[in-house]
Formats: sequence, structure tokens, C-alpha cells
Amino acid sequence: MLEIGCFHRNYRILHAAEYGARYLRAVIKLQGIRKSYQTGAQSMEVLKGIDCSIAAGELVAIMGSSGSGKSTLLNVLGLLDDFDAGTYHLDGQDMSGLSEKQAARYRSEFLGFVFQSFNLIGYKTALENVALPLYYQGVPRKERQEKAMRFLEKVGLADWSNHLPNQMSGGQKQRVAIARALIANPRVILADEPTGALDSTTSEDVMELLKEINREGITIVVVTHEHEIAEQCHRIIRLKDGCIEDQMKSQHV
Amino acid sequence: MFDRDAWLEIFHTVLSNPLRTGLTGLSIALGIFILVVMQGLGAGLESGVKNTFGDNASNTIQVRTGNAQLAYRGRKPNRRVDLHNADERALQDQLDTVPAWSRLVFRWGSTVQYGNQQGSYNVRGVDPDQREIGQVALTAGRFLSPLDIDAERKVAVIGATLLQDLYPKGTPPDAAVGTFVQLRGIQFAVVGTFDQAGSRWENRSVYVPFTTAQKLFQNSDVVGRVSIGTGDAAIEETRETSATLLGWLKDRLVVHPDDAEGVWVDNRNEEAEIFRQIFSGIRLFVWFVGMMTLLAGAMGVANIMAIVVRERTKEIGVRKALGATSGRIVGQIVQEAVFLMLISGCVGLLAGTWLLQGISPMVEHDFFSNPRVNFESALGALGVLIFVGVVSAIGPAVRAVTIRPVEALRDE
Repeated sequence: MLEIGCFHRNYRILHAAEYGARYLRAVIKLQGIRKSYQTGAQSMEVLKGIDCSIAAGELVAIMGSSGSGKSTLLNVLGLLDDFDAGTYHLDGQDMSGLSEKQAARYRSEFLGFVFQSFNLIGYKTALENVALPLYYQGVPRKERQEKAMRFLEKVGLADWSNHLPNQMSGGQKQRVAIARALIANPRVILADEPTGALDSTTSEDVMELLKEINREGITIVVVTHEHEIAEQCHRIIRLKDGCIEDQMKSQHV
Repeated sequence: MFDRDAWLEIFHTVLSNPLRTGLTGLSIALGIFILVVMQGLGAGLESGVKNTFGDNASNTIQVRTGNAQLAYRGRKPNRRVDLHNADERALQDQLDTVPAWSRLVFRWGSTVQYGNQQGSYNVRGVDPDQREIGQVALTAGRFLSPLDIDAERKVAVIGATLLQDLYPKGTPPDAAVGTFVQLRGIQFAVVGTFDQAGSRWENRSVYVPFTTAQKLFQNSDVVGRVSIGTGDAAIEETRETSATLLGWLKDRLVVHPDDAEGVWVDNRNEEAEIFRQIFSGIRLFVWFVGMMTLLAGAMGVANIMAIVVRERTKEIGVRKALGATSGRIVGQIVQEAVFLMLISGCVGLLAGTWLLQGISPMVEHDFFSNPRVNFESALGALGVLIFVGVVSAIGPAVRAVTIRPVEALRDE
């Protein structure tokens, strides 16, 4: 079953070796990641042995049709969900068998999240939303707000700091969310369909912002089903039926 | 737990849905309000009843005589039985030690005059121990002394009502001491005044030395009543003493052992015990009803918190994705519930206290006076609130813990 499910294995390893040579250090390293969900009496395997490595400073797109396992993979990468088998190294540290508390700590130290529906807290201002991750790291209030202001400036929304999310456009909200993802100085930003709820012009703006952030050295993993978005990344990982179907270097890079 | 940010979080969430918060708060405030008001009314009933029946301290045995109903040892039925001075002295010898002892002759409807003012009051001839037995609250001067008794002095201690009725308006108690009043036409020096708060009957009384009263107003050596203080003796002990005294008195005064009315020995400890039981029953009932009301309120809070958690599933997921641990989330929810409970509980407490204070002057009655909230029960109610707050938040908080951050990524 494993052989049938993952017949692209050799092809992929070649690519991994190639990228391993190009980038010195893998910030994300997955080996044989499996994950299945229990639905009633049946168990459904969603990830069927994922091997992949993402290097520091890379901008990677994960593509795949719905049901391909891309959301589950993102959840595993984001320590939002555990996995059944395999190993996951994030920044050189083993992430298997984490307690909820440890997972929360690694999330706040290493990872930043950008969601399709922004997930800003509705009753908090843009500034407070951006500052929230620092609150959970125990950073003093004043320092938090100053830092949040700097990041809002960075995404061009300094004038909107005291606005509530429902007073902003979709593009602005996503930029606030990106500022929030950046504020804790993460190694990796995981973006789940970051442009899914945006029109094409705003999508382009948001993508430009992500690329700029990537150029400053932050690794970004984007889950998307839009080719225009994926093609702006360094590399595209295609998932199908819980396996990596192929990986290709983008022509644009 | 007590940092500014945690409070800001709470204010945000509490204020972001004022209607929901208000309704929850109302149910708790109402619960505490009912508890406090009922507790206050219970206390009012208790103090009213105590004032009415409490012309003597509860730790006394009262001895008096009546009409013997049965023929006995050659005496005919339906005759008057009297306790004479000699009997009283012999009675005293029956007891080893007595914490307090006071004889009484009583003349109600006695004319008392000061200057041109006069009225009808109760004159009581008593011993100095009456001060302890009757718990007389002096406002000026002194009570009767053993010397007054021995010398049969014409001195009087007058109640607050006499001071008010007979003396010029606004005379302070001090000014009445040293004046002279006419008791049944005989001049007495006022040596003290007293005020038994809330007891009109008591305050219409004048205390004079027992010996003086017996000689001037009674013209015989009959003792109306003997009050025996029992100190802090246990109720069983006082029961035994009462039974012994009753047997002894019946024998001495030639009253048939089965005669229920010739000699009376009332053990006030007994009555006090009954009252104590009734009122502890009332208190228990009040607390029970109050607790049930609070419980209903707490269920309301638990319900609201459950809805809050459900509504904020996504937000909690996002917070977790941003690094919040389950502990932080649970802490926030519990703190929120306790905060809500405390604020609305205090509102109910204040409203209840305010109502009791407002109605207090209007509801003076023989069986009801001075309704109030005591500090301990207020503290107790607050303690219960905190406890109930924590308990009501536990269910929803556990639900919040089980929310996985994956929820945050799920799009509707």
C-alpha cells in the first residue's frame, strides 16, 4: 500500500538532495510523517508518509486539491495537531510527542500563523491584535505596544492602529494578521490560503508583503490552490492523496 | 492572575456583550438580594421576639406562686399560695451557690409624678442582682446597691419612657439623676436611668429597692417573685435545679405534688432553648432558600459561560495558535466568571442592605424590630459567591481546554 500510495518517492528524494545542497540548514525536516483520523469504526489515513525538508529562508507553496492532506500537513507543521508516525524536526529540535503546553511554547517561539479568514479578535483594535502573541510570552504591556506599532508601520497600517477589524478592508485585515504573525520574531510563517478571501489586486499586495518578509530571511510556507500565488514561491510541493506527488522549482525564482 | 492585561481581557469580554452580562449579573444579584433580605428579616424577627419576651435574661429560673387547685394535707382547693420572706430565705439555703438572686414585688399602674407631670408606670421592687438578671442598660447614674436594700432607701432607677414623658423635652439622662419623683405619693431620689433599646414595656418601669417596695407598697412580707440567675450552667443542670426547687417548694408551701398551678418554677433556659431552636431553624431555612436561589443563579452563569466558550471557540483556537496555554485560557474563563459573580453579588448585597435599612424604621412591631445584615453572613455570602463562581466556570473551562487550535484554521 505504501508503495502504491507513494510511487514518486525516488523523484522526490532527488529534489530534496538538490535543495539540501542549495540551502545550508533545514528549518523544517519531516521524515515519514503519517497521520490518520478515526471516523467511527474506520480509520482514514490522511498523510501517508511525508518526507520533506524546508530550508531556512525558503518561500514554499503547498498545493493540492481538497482532501489531498494539505491542511492536515499544515496543522502538523504548525504543531496544531499531532502525528502518528515519523519524525518532525523544527529548527533542529524534535517535535514528536509534545505536551500541549510544550506545543504552545514552540508555537509562540518558532511559528507565526496567517489564516484565510484573518482570525483577528473582533473586539480588539489592530494594535492589540498585533500585540497578542507577546502577551502570551509575558512581554510587558508598554514594550508590547511599542513593538506592535513598529510592525503595524512595517505593514503600512500605522494610521489604523486604533481601528477595530470590522472597520478595515480584507487586505488591511490580512496585513494586520501578518504583522501579528511577525511580532514574535518567528523562524517560520505558516500561511493557510492567505489570499483566499481577497480580490486579485489585494492578493497581489499581500503576496508582495510576504515576499518582502521572506527576503528579510524568514521562512514562509504558503498553502494555496491558486497557481498565480504558488508560482511566486521558490518551490511548489504538490500533494495528492496524502503523498507528495511532485516538487518543482518555480520558474520565477 | 492579577495583572492589568488579564483585567483588560475581562473588561473587553464582559463589556462586549452587555445584554448577556447584564442578565447573568441580574440572576446572581437577585439571588444574593433575596438571601440578604431574608436573612435580615429573619434577624429582625429574632430581635423583635427577643425584645418582647426578653424582660429577663434567658439564663434564669423564675419562682412564683399562684392558686393551688387541689386539696392537700387538710388545705382546701382553690386557695392562694404565698411565698413569704422566711420561705425565700429557706429557698436560698437550698442552693449551694447562686450567680445572681433577686426578689421582686411588682406594682403596675403606679402613679409617678415629676413636677407637674404625672403618668402611670410599673414599679418594681428588686435586689441589686436584677441589673444582671434583667440585663438593665444604664444610661446614667447607678443601679440599686446592697446598701439601698439594707437601709430601705427611697431611691429609684427610672426607664427611658419616664424620662421622655415626665421631664422637659430633651432632658439628658445625666440631668435626671439627683432629681426627685413621687411614687404613689412618696418622694424618691432618682439615682439612675436606663434604656432597654426597643422594649417599650421595660422602659415604662421604675426600679426601687425590694425592701422599700415591700414595706411601702405592699404592707406584707410576701415576695412576688424570685429570679435566680443560673450563670453559664448547662441546660441539664438547670433542669435538675428547677425540678429540685419545685419539689421542695411544693412540700414547704403545702401544695399537692400534682398541682400544676400552686407553685411555678419557670426555667427560662428551657424557653431560650426552644427559641434558639426555632431561630436556628429559621436561619437554616433562610440559608437553604438563599443557597438554592444562588444555585439557580450559578447555573445561569454556568450556562452563559458555556455559551461564551462555544461562541468563542474560534477565538480560543486562535489564542492557542498564538501561544496561549490551556492554563491561561482556563484562568481567564474562571476569573471572568468569578469577577461577574462578585460584581453582581456586591450589587445584590448593597441593594439588600439598602432595602433593609430603608424599611427598618417603618416596620417596628412587637415581633419585629431592627432587621439587619450582619457582617459575617455578608462575608459568608461573598465566600459562597466566589466558590459558586469557580464551580460554575469549571464545566465551560474544561470545554475550552478540549478545543484544539486546529479549530482556528477551520473556515466555515
